[in-house]
Amino acid sequence: MLNVRRISTSRWWHKKKNWTLFGIFLFLVFVRISKGSLYKDFYYFISKPFWPGQFQKEVIQKSSNQESLKKLNLLQKDNIRLREILNLQKLSSADTITAAVISRKPGSWWRQIILNKGSKDGVEIGSTVIGPGGLLGRVKSTSLLTSSVTLLTSPESKLGVWVDRIQINGLLVGLGNDYPNLIFYSKDADVKIGDFVSSSPASTLLPPNIPIGIVQSVDVEIQSKKTAKILLLAKPHVIDWVQILKVKI
Amino acid sequence: MNKFFTKNSSVISLIFIPIIFLWHPNWLGFLGVQPYWPLFWLLPWSMVNGPVNGIIFGLFLGLILDSVTLDGNFTQIPGLILCGAWFGRIKIHNNLFIGHLRYGLICSLGSFLCGTLYFLQIMFKNFSDNNFLIFIPNIQNILAEVFLTGFFAPFICSQLVKVIKSSKEKIAIINLSKN
Repeated sequence: MLNVRRISTSRWWHKKKNWTLFGIFLFLVFVRISKGSLYKDFYYFISKPFWPGQFQKEVIQKSSNQESLKKLNLLQKDNIRLREILNLQKLSSADTITAAVISRKPGSWWRQIILNKGSKDGVEIGSTVIGPGGLLGRVKSTSLLTSSVTLLTSPESKLGVWVDRIQINGLLVGLGNDYPNLIFYSKDADVKIGDFVSSSPASTLLPPNIPIGIVQSVDVEIQSKKTAKILLLAKPHVIDWVQILKVKI
Repeated sequence: MNKFFTKNSSVISLIFIPIIFLWHPNWLGFLGVQPYWPLFWLLPWSMVNGPVNGIIFGLFLGLILDSVTLDGNFTQIPGLILCGAWFGRIKIHNNLFIGHLRYGLICSLGSFLCGTLYFLQIMFKNFSDNNFLIFIPNIQNILAEVFLTGFFAPFICSQLVKVIKSSKEKIAIINLSKN
């Protein structure tokens, strides 16, 4: 038999269920404020058995050798130029952390990857993340065990870059697709298809001369701005291992 | 322990939403876009438990998913709350075939609503930039997401409706046996 009891002075705060829901709500607000670090750390543990294998390191080493040759040429040129100019800040020895990609969202609205190294391993917000091919993005947030990286293709990403052939700086802006836009605030920029784009030597956010991409197409000039589509060298949807650069610029 | 899992299987299944959202399996995607996973759970939950529960858990899902994405300027909460309220007013159809088609159609519309609300936030923020190039990939995102969500919904929602309904019935049986 059902025992139905009528409570004449029933209020919402008399119900335990409402307090439980309120408690969950407060907990979720805390998680939201902490940028989901609890979830990400939880995800770190459950995704651990599925992390990419060690053999990937060999593939990365081969690709990074090729990348290093190109980078070396750029660095030598840059060194000569800087010595001429004098008194520009020098880059300290690059301290790198190797990390595996444990979650990736290279498409859709959210263009980000999550790495298996966090603040415990010395990853800091703003660190540069590179993969085979070149620059991938920058660390946007860290939890104890993981770090989240905003990809260059994300609409939130805006970086100063350098076109070596014409020796001019531009702004690389993510559009939410696979081809970020390179904006030159000068009509005279003689950019051509196939031009090589690297990080700007004058950038305060990135170390200089990290390969980024190649000019794929040049758009029509709008409001004294010249824009070009960039084909990125590093492909976030296939990269399993990345390097985080702990450089003080 | 077993009783605990039987009672709470519907809520436990909620944990898989952020996991699959982060996992982002490429082989399930289309044009690099994934189905809008939270709707697959929110639709059955709201249909079984009503609009108030739909709104509450829409809010919870929104908070969770906003936590694991990096875009601090935009939120998924309004879309999920609206979907929760709307889904709660829909009754489960008796006909198996029509019921499955309804899941697909409702989830497609829900995904369109959530996608549009998210897109409006992006548009509002970038309105001053006059950068219309940013809008084209976003429209592509919405359309791909609507298609995928509608495609997978009949398979996933029908199973989750069973899980959530049986979990609710088991709670009722446990409560009756206590009385």
